[in-house]
Amino acid sequence: MMGGASSRRGLWLDPRTKILLLLFCILSAMMAPSLFYELGLVVLIGLLGVCFGKWKYAWKGVLFYALIVLLTLWIMDTMTGTWRTMFIAFLGLFHKVYPCGMLSGIVLSTTKVSEFLSAMNRIHAPKKLVIPLAVMLRYVPTIQEDWRFIKDAMRMRDVSPSPKGLLTHPAMTVECIYVPLMMAASKAADELSIASITRGIENPKPRTCLVQIHIGPADLLAGICFAAYLAVGLYWKGVFG
Amino acid sequence: MSNQVNSLKKGLTVKDLVTTGIFSAIFFVFTLVGGLPFAPNPVLTFYMPMGAALLCGPIYLLMVAKVQKRWSVTILGIIMGIIWFATGMHWAFSLGYIGMGLIADLVAGAGHYRNKAINLLSYMLISLGGIYTYVVFFLDPDGWASTMLKNGTEQSYIDTMNASAPSWLLVVIIAGTLAVAAFSGWVGGKMLKKQFEKAGITA
Repeated sequence: MMGGASSRRGLWLDPRTKILLLLFCILSAMMAPSLFYELGLVVLIGLLGVCFGKWKYAWKGVLFYALIVLLTLWIMDTMTGTWRTMFIAFLGLFHKVYPCGMLSGIVLSTTKVSEFLSAMNRIHAPKKLVIPLAVMLRYVPTIQEDWRFIKDAMRMRDVSPSPKGLLTHPAMTVECIYVPLMMAASKAADELSIASITRGIENPKPRTCLVQIHIGPADLLAGICFAAYLAVGLYWKGVFG
Repeated sequence: MSNQVNSLKKGLTVKDLVTTGIFSAIFFVFTLVGGLPFAPNPVLTFYMPMGAALLCGPIYLLMVAKVQKRWSVTILGIIMGIIWFATGMHWAFSLGYIGMGLIADLVAGAGHYRNKAINLLSYMLISLGGIYTYVVFFLDPDGWASTMLKNGTEQSYIDTMNASAPSWLLVVIIAGTLAVAAFSGWVGGKMLKKQFEKAGITA
């Protein structure tokens, strides 16, 4: 895939560091003293994205967030009554979710499953949790692919995969979506477990990986940046007030 | 096959773990599909857990029927919690999924993962995982908006909040989520009987 080529050009971070960054980011978003602090957080994440070589994702994300901030300020200024309350409740959620969602988008698209497994092994995470998690992350794109095939097959049999079809023939449409998807899933589960046993997932010896994971200067720098930003939010609230 | 007999005592095998992972993926995607139309709409955002509960019943029931062991549902809950946490959802949402996953597991375990009514009940319980964000919201509406309202909370905001989001809304959310989950599980149970048991997909 394209991820391999572009990640070599950009920065490489240890998966453990990425998890730490995610944690810092969530804490920062939770404690955020003001809107501009959150905007700064999003810009910081954008910079990280640029370091990873994801220019487009970074500037689009920052721009979109800036627009939302403007919208929020506008709503705070002009709206009153019930609508205002509704928007406050909704935007409150949105502002908490957005920075972390953006960061996890970067993290997920730059981490390979094997790297992730090695890192989890290194911190002695329980295998019972790591294996399903890795399988899940890998399987989500497959669902998307399956869905496209199912849609084609449904059209071929004159079952409409649109909301209109769902309303006119609910039972039929629901069955046509769920049954193939779940059949494919349980087949994939059987095949994948056979494949992973063949490749020695039950091996009690420590796992080895071609990609050596290690914490380098870049990891430290990124970690310090996000930790410092969190500290600023906690102790010097006045700066952003 | 002798391997499988042993594994019943030993706990989860690799196959069970992989199955849990794959069904977690579908569970996650369907929660997203069901919940997303609600989330970006300020009026409907409170009803998000219902949308999330609507689509996942068949998936959950098939997973339980396929694995039929303790911890699988807990792992599903924990994975949901981790993923939602990583995508930046409110922390109460994640903790809710982890906690309700454990409870649902215990409930389903009481019926040895074979009793259909009890499995349905456990699905209803795990669906409640999504409501905890709103519980926190109703407990502490001031803290919720403190980021946006610079000078603490305005009185007018408190007033409108009390007017437009009365406490019965929480009851509606909980009851509605349970009802939607029950419906989804009922459809799932029928589908399981009609399609998957005949095909020998369930263990």
